[in-house]
Amino acid sequence: MSARRLRATRRAILIGLLIVGGLLMMAPFLWMISTSLKTRAEVFATPPTLLPVVAQWHNYPDMWNALPFGLFFLNSVKLATLNTIGQLLTCSMAAFAFAALRFRFRDPLFALLLVTLIIPFQVVLVPNFVLYRLLPHPLSTSGNWIGTQEPLWVGAFLGGAFGTFLLRQFFMAIPRELGDAARVDGANPWQIYRHIYLPLARPALATLAIFTFMWSWNDLIDPIIYLRDIESFTVTAGLSLFQGQYVGRWPLLMAGALVSVLPMIVLFILAQRHFVRGIAMSGIKG
Amino acid sequence: MTRLRRPASRRGGGPLAGEGRWALAFLLPTLLGLAVLSAGPILATLAISLTKWDLLTAPKLVGLDNFLALLSDDRFLKALRNTFFYTVVSVPIGLVVALALALALNTKVRGIAFIRTAYFLPVVTSTIAIALVWQWIYSADSGLLNQVLGVFGITSQKWLSDPTLAMPSIIAMSIWQGLGVNVIIFLAGLQAIPSDLLDAASVDGAGSWARLRNVTLPLLTPSVFFTGVLSLIGSFQVFDQIFVLVKPRPTEATITVVYFIYENGFRFFKMGYASAASWILFLIVAFFSAVYFRSQNRWVHYQ
Repeated sequence: MSARRLRATRRAILIGLLIVGGLLMMAPFLWMISTSLKTRAEVFATPPTLLPVVAQWHNYPDMWNALPFGLFFLNSVKLATLNTIGQLLTCSMAAFAFAALRFRFRDPLFALLLVTLIIPFQVVLVPNFVLYRLLPHPLSTSGNWIGTQEPLWVGAFLGGAFGTFLLRQFFMAIPRELGDAARVDGANPWQIYRHIYLPLARPALATLAIFTFMWSWNDLIDPIIYLRDIESFTVTAGLSLFQGQYVGRWPLLMAGALVSVLPMIVLFILAQRHFVRGIAMSGIKG
Repeated sequence: MTRLRRPASRRGGGPLAGEGRWALAFLLPTLLGLAVLSAGPILATLAISLTKWDLLTAPKLVGLDNFLALLSDDRFLKALRNTFFYTVVSVPIGLVVALALALALNTKVRGIAFIRTAYFLPVVTSTIAIALVWQWIYSADSGLLNQVLGVFGITSQKWLSDPTLAMPSIIAMSIWQGLGVNVIIFLAGLQAIPSDLLDAASVDGAGSWARLRNVTLPLLTPSVFFTGVLSLIGSFQVFDQIFVLVKPRPTEATITVVYFIYENGFRFFKMGYASAASWILFLIVAFFSAVYFRSQNRWVHYQ
């Protein structure tokens, strides 16, 4: 009896600690919301107030109109969508080859791909920049790809180590007999990929789609290196510019930060299952 | 994962004929990507690192001059030191806290999903938005942290501009942001542990601490290994936090290797110098990854 009560108490303490910890994790977000609705004077009040006296909703339109944020959102959506399409298509093709086809150099090639997973991409920033500078572009003022959005999405159509690895893990679990049976019936590898592997891999494809969309949306270093005109800025590049122009105007800056993360938070809440599975799937199999 | 069924016939006739050509077609985008965007450019970086090049005039071959200059460039050495400090502090703390959290979150209680969401949220939000809030929390002028500490009589600190406090402050934010990823991997590892193993240990009289030490933790080492790799690689790539938190540009107390590469390559257009720094970063990451992977025989238990 007392042992059970002891266990119940320990459990209650544990859950209490988790809730406190959860609140600590949420605190910066809550502080972001609260600050975004305050006046400039309220922000610097001592002691700080938890909530604004009167919610300054106009901070949001003020922030939205301070810079062309609507355009930034369109650019980010466009780039994230292109990245997602490119990765889904080319990573699934590579993953299918590695999982279902037999060819020479398959294992060393896969090993090479895994090695690139470990290399920090910043190591190749300079040669990539040089490459894009060599490629001609008819619409760009520089004459090459620098200053255009192309460097931010074209690479996604050239495969990727993470996506290929993730999808290959999934494809390996599909019984080979399914493909072999289709082959006997005269199907070629493209048909097997298109009509057997892709439909069965829908959950893994959803996971990769969400991750790619998120990475593209949150990317900062590439937009600040490649983009020059404000019309081509993404949300992250725009927020960085906003930060520089509105130093110390915390209510507006917090409103901007909050609006910029809303799409990701909504996506996360809608697709939490896929997020968790994606991280876990790439994790336990190592 | 590499245990593949051996093909019945390696080459030649049958339904498998011509698979090599199909494989080439399926892999074409990936091969092109490897050649021009990832594996190939590593070699290109090495070539550029042997030159002096501002992009406007032709590159000039200078041998190992860039590497020698880096070794006596105080800002680069500080960047290396800061990056190591960041790694040595943030990786172990991040792993231990995440492990404790995962063990605590691995219970079946109503509402636990909601609490878990709170821990995952920082993972999906962009570092720039996160860092903006933390810049405000850390602000020396009415920032939340100073205000709260002030209640306990602690004097205001310049969290981001004081040389001794700046890096720890940045690390604290990064641990907070990265916790969720590690927790998710640990939770998946915990849920993969067969419950009959734990039951058997209970029957044999093992208490909850003994079960944790002798069953759960050994079986969780593959997850620990994997999160370790992720955190290690991530910690060498620190850039966004530095770019947003320390304005206008990081001092010697806060510069990291990747920021150094960015600054020299894309602010000063010293392409050779930035490439040499990139190669040193590559060698360091390769070295630590190799050491880490070799260590796994000693402490990682695969079922």
